[in-house]
Amino acid sequence: MTIHENPNIPDEVRAVAADGTQLRYALMEMAREMDEVIALGRGDPDLDTPPHIVEAAKTAIRDGRTELTPVKGMEDLRAAIAEHMRAVNGLPVGADNVMVTTGGQEGLFLAIQALIDPGDEILVPDPRYTSYDDAIRRAGGTMVSVPTNRDDAFNLEAEAVEAAISPASKALLIVTPSNPTAGIVTEDRLRAIAAVAIRHNLIVIVDEIYGKIVYEPWQHFSIGSLPGMAERTITLDAFSKTYAMTGWRCGYAAAPANVIDAMARIKQITTGPVATVSQWAGLAAISGPQDCVAEYLRIYTDRRAVLLEGLDRMGFAYGEPRGGLFVWADCSSTGIHATELSYLLLKEGRVLIFPGTAFGDAWREYVRITMLEPIETLKEAVERMLPVLDRYRA
Amino acid sequence: MGSPAWEKRSHMQISQTLSRPLAQRVAGDKPHPPAPSPRLQGGGAQLPSNVIEAATAALDRGETHYTDRPGIPEFRGWVAEHLRERYHVNVDPSEVTITCGATEARYVCMTLLAEPGGSVLCPGDSARIRGALHLAGAKIVDSIQDDVRLLYITPDVYRETSIELLQRAEDSDWWIVYDLSFARTSAPFHPAQNAKLAARVVTIDSLSDHMAGWRLGWMAGSEMALRLRAGKQAITICTTAVSQWAGLEWLRSAK
Repeated sequence: MTIHENPNIPDEVRAVAADGTQLRYALMEMAREMDEVIALGRGDPDLDTPPHIVEAAKTAIRDGRTELTPVKGMEDLRAAIAEHMRAVNGLPVGADNVMVTTGGQEGLFLAIQALIDPGDEILVPDPRYTSYDDAIRRAGGTMVSVPTNRDDAFNLEAEAVEAAISPASKALLIVTPSNPTAGIVTEDRLRAIAAVAIRHNLIVIVDEIYGKIVYEPWQHFSIGSLPGMAERTITLDAFSKTYAMTGWRCGYAAAPANVIDAMARIKQITTGPVATVSQWAGLAAISGPQDCVAEYLRIYTDRRAVLLEGLDRMGFAYGEPRGGLFVWADCSSTGIHATELSYLLLKEGRVLIFPGTAFGDAWREYVRITMLEPIETLKEAVERMLPVLDRYRA
Repeated sequence: MGSPAWEKRSHMQISQTLSRPLAQRVAGDKPHPPAPSPRLQGGGAQLPSNVIEAATAALDRGETHYTDRPGIPEFRGWVAEHLRERYHVNVDPSEVTITCGATEARYVCMTLLAEPGGSVLCPGDSARIRGALHLAGAKIVDSIQDDVRLLYITPDVYRETSIELLQRAEDSDWWIVYDLSFARTSAPFHPAQNAKLAARVVTIDSLSDHMAGWRLGWMAGSEMALRLRAGKQAITICTTAVSQWAGLEWLRSAK
């Protein structure tokens, strides 16, 4: 079916439609000015930061333990992160291989600034979280898309990576689980990709921020744990999604010590150390009880089932969402361009979702929908969207 | 392992993949990080009880999520009001972005307002912008050059010098970054008091004197405000929520 492009899109959306990040923010700002919108756009967990983490932060505040830390982060936190990454991810790292970042996004920004020179190419799976673009652009690098597809649940193929390599290729970005597709890169694929990376001397930057939100029977696997990969891998993670801590702005990176040193020198210039109170919260998160992680995963699993049932009713197809907080759904059955569809669902259904075009130009037949509202709200969102789709479906 | 072509590029291991410019940044030439200030070493131990209470109350309210990208409206409103009351400078709260310290504000301003290969005129201490300009590919000069497009100035620059340079900025359409953080003088002078300059002036300030560990700063004003906001978002999305609430209380009570 041909997707028709109805020009009936407001100027504030059209003006930024070519910039995925700005498109997402334009829709969020429109939603903010409307009443009773169900927000299934931004990846901000509605769940609260677990009480023991909040309490640790409050204790640090009351005790006055909020002075500036070294730029790489508190020693205790770096040691705890290293221990966690050894035990959980199988990475051969110590505290010298770890730094604390102002959220996962800054980790990626620092890695790109540290490693990419003008003219270097970085391979990025398509679709992508477009906030990566600015970091690559600032470093003078060139992004080269590596295709993924729905039939394969957006699992990255080593053959596709290898086909995209050129003499200018310097690094490969892997996001697993993926934002926006909710696909994961499975262990067998990661082993094959690692062989390609070693064969072509690629650096691997792997964003594992959703790594603890993986649905059964699937399992997360860290490419940096494979033989020969630790010396060429930068692993990024954050507390934001796992522990519902987006507002604390606290993440971390693991890499060879000299790369961490390089990233830290840049961080000294760009943002300085992470807020100390957030580091205390992060320390409580990573070294405290992990029941909350399992509990949150159970909640998201239940929500995912409800959302997928709703998408079936809406006639949207999707690759199996194996991890993360989203569903990446094919809306081509509506015959409506994804940007317009998102606008119509917001304007007439008061449901905020993001068009696929916010994650790559070609994705005009896809939308990203989060599961970051309670089940009853997700059901209500589906009921709101259905009549809008009925009105406009081609 | 890799082909000869790859070996020629000498990045068989990640330890060898640091690009030459970066290697210079991190190992060769000094990377020019901001000079540590004695005042940066404290900033937390003696916080007033009302600030501690505001921070813990914010956490009790569940202020643990992303804030609005430019910062909480109350903080942005305080900054706009402060500029109006203190300096008689009108900045809309929508033109204010709360940043992770003045460091992030300086980095964003320098990398978005300076032109690669161009010059930034800095008549005073340039230590705090050297690193950002190095990454931006711009150079610092202390006298007027033809390729200057940005003037970085603080309240501590001799007033007559400031006035002379601001006149040149007006004639030449330079961008102006006025950095109030760490200023030793509290004179109510501000370049944006000149209506002809106001749209090209970005004000930077911070709470680093008092709350360094909370990482709070801001950048305000200019017709570039939305682009600067997007530049900050691309790095850190937003500034730590609890820090913003604590800082707001500190500012309100100090006032």
